[in-house]
Amino acid sequence: MGRYILRRSLLGVATLLLVMFVLHLLTTFAIQINGNPALAFFGERVPTAAQLAAVETRFGLDDPCYDQTGNPCLGPFVERLGAYAQGDFGTNLRGREVTDIVATAAPNTLKLFLVVTIVWFLLGMGLGTVAARWRGRSADHGIRLTSVLIDAFPIFVLLLVYRYVFAVPLNAWATETFGADSLPALWFRPSFDDDHSWATLLVPGILLGLAGSAAFIRLVRASQLESYAGDHVRTARSRGLHERHVVLHHVMRNSAVPVVTAVGLTFTEALAGAVITEGMMNIYGMGGVLWEAVRGTDVALVLGVVTILAAVTVAVMLVVDIAYAALDPRIRYA
Amino acid sequence: MRGMTGMEIDISGAFDPAGPDDDAQGQVPTERTAGATLLEVDDLAVEFRSDDGAVRAVDGLSYRVEAGRTLALVGESGCGKSVSSLAVMGLLPPTARVVRGSARYRGTDLLALSPAKHRAHAGTHVAMVFQDALAALNPVHTVGYQLTEALRARSGLSRREARRRAIELLDLVKVPNAAGRVDEYPHQFSGGMRQRVMIASALALDPDVLIADEPTTALDVTVQAQVLRLLAEIQAERQMGLVLITHDLGVVAGVADDVTVMYAGRAVEHAPVRDLYAAPAHPYTRALLRSVPRLDAGADGDRLPVVPGRPPVPGRVPSGCPFHPRCDMARDVCRTDVPPLADAAPERSSACFFAAELLGGARA
Repeated sequence: MGRYILRRSLLGVATLLLVMFVLHLLTTFAIQINGNPALAFFGERVPTAAQLAAVETRFGLDDPCYDQTGNPCLGPFVERLGAYAQGDFGTNLRGREVTDIVATAAPNTLKLFLVVTIVWFLLGMGLGTVAARWRGRSADHGIRLTSVLIDAFPIFVLLLVYRYVFAVPLNAWATETFGADSLPALWFRPSFDDDHSWATLLVPGILLGLAGSAAFIRLVRASQLESYAGDHVRTARSRGLHERHVVLHHVMRNSAVPVVTAVGLTFTEALAGAVITEGMMNIYGMGGVLWEAVRGTDVALVLGVVTILAAVTVAVMLVVDIAYAALDPRIRYA
Repeated sequence: MRGMTGMEIDISGAFDPAGPDDDAQGQVPTERTAGATLLEVDDLAVEFRSDDGAVRAVDGLSYRVEAGRTLALVGESGCGKSVSSLAVMGLLPPTARVVRGSARYRGTDLLALSPAKHRAHAGTHVAMVFQDALAALNPVHTVGYQLTEALRARSGLSRREARRRAIELLDLVKVPNAAGRVDEYPHQFSGGMRQRVMIASALALDPDVLIADEPTTALDVTVQAQVLRLLAEIQAERQMGLVLITHDLGVVAGVADDVTVMYAGRAVEHAPVRDLYAAPAHPYTRALLRSVPRLDAGADGDRLPVVPGRPPVPGRVPSGCPFHPRCDMARDVCRTDVPPLADAAPERSSACFFAAELLGGARA
């Protein structure tokens, strides 16, 4: 088990380095083709050569390799790795520490994620289990139809429809009925409010969770159906065990491995969804920060945030891998 | 033929079915008088739904399981022997249903109970041992957990007590180092040991009747013999009724008391094991017996005779006697009329019009 975890951890670190390198290559080529991002610092103004040089030095863009299209710029990459290793993620164009920005933005994203995870996990496990248990009955057909319907509405469509069709009338109704500062009024507020982060995150979180649950429902159903067909379920039933016990200990428990895999996949999907959700709902979170950073050509911020998000994803995948081993003894002893 | 009396009966595991904590509620008094009827299947018929309409998998099967005796259900794959036992246990797949008949356990018709009650009742008193123990045991639970799962679900045994019982059960089926292996998983056991675990898990509730569905088919020949001997010993010790489902008449000879031979969903012959081997009363049984390899014959390199042809596909059973296309004594009547299972001699019956001829021929 220890060796298994070690092997997986090393693999995770290697993956992270690879992601960072690819990211570096992409930004390098973008700079080489699109021109100097240091200009973005000056906005409309035209800087003098000395000013530009000073800014380039400050953001590490002074290396001549940025002028040679096709040069992978390994020097700056190694430099940046060294800085990251010391906890220095640089500053954004306004001189604010990237780590500081992340520290204020990440809690909101975590809250959003918590709501999202609870929603899709409950929906997926609940509806998937019901559909598998009553396979071929009306409940199963209804649930499968629902999951396809959800898939037909991607998260940005859900959010657009919610924000521009439902949020305002609902908010007006809640304000009228319960008062402007009441909880329901906050729930349906069309944009994020830092003072009431939980309440204003709730509806976007539920919508994002709903969008993520569709594939998860089908996966839970499929993996449980596979367990139902297993001989060990027949053995458990032959011992006169109650059907509820059989479902819990021999169907759901045995389909935990594919479900955990899906948790990892859905996590990354939700991460992508969070960027869109936060951007559209004006939520000040990691996604929102990234959204703004990309629009403002803020190279250091983009690199820093994406690196942190990649590190989190790799960590989640590592947890998933360890969960595999905990759930399936055949992996543990392999 | 080796009788059961010739076997050593040594149940080393000190399993005490009437122990102080044996409070499995709702059990019928478990005194088993040798010869008492425990399970009686009568005129059982099972149908499968298919695209071509209903298909009879079992048609009018009857048998009786008595305490301390072993009944072998013998037949080729697809003859309905497994399906009939699944019907008794309430484990038929959703596409199958019982269309006729009864299965009385100590007087209670299991098939008349609601599905949940059927399964609970059958599971408490009738236990099943399945063929492929690797698939039939749950890969993600320890052996100890699976051995006592049903016990704990019924009696709320403590974790520690359950573990002790699991070790006793492993000892009972002679798994070496039971205390060390109780926390291992099925995939860490060898095939034979796994099948012993399977048997132990079936014995956990001290069942009256044990149905063993091809318990040794997946095992090496030497291990087969050990597992069969173990089953026979435990059965004799506890005076259980044992139903041994197999396609291998060689397996039957050493262990069974009575044999029911099945063909195409029906019983075609029923006889005490000695009589059956001495003189089969059905051409199918005779053909099966001829296809069992023997040490004392065929030294000159003769080929082992096989039963010609294939068993009928369920749903396309030929008219008349279902065996007639493969039968070397078939006459015109066999193609048109279905021979009923009728008494052929004391204690034995045969579904062949010419059973008397067969028996007479053997005596001559």
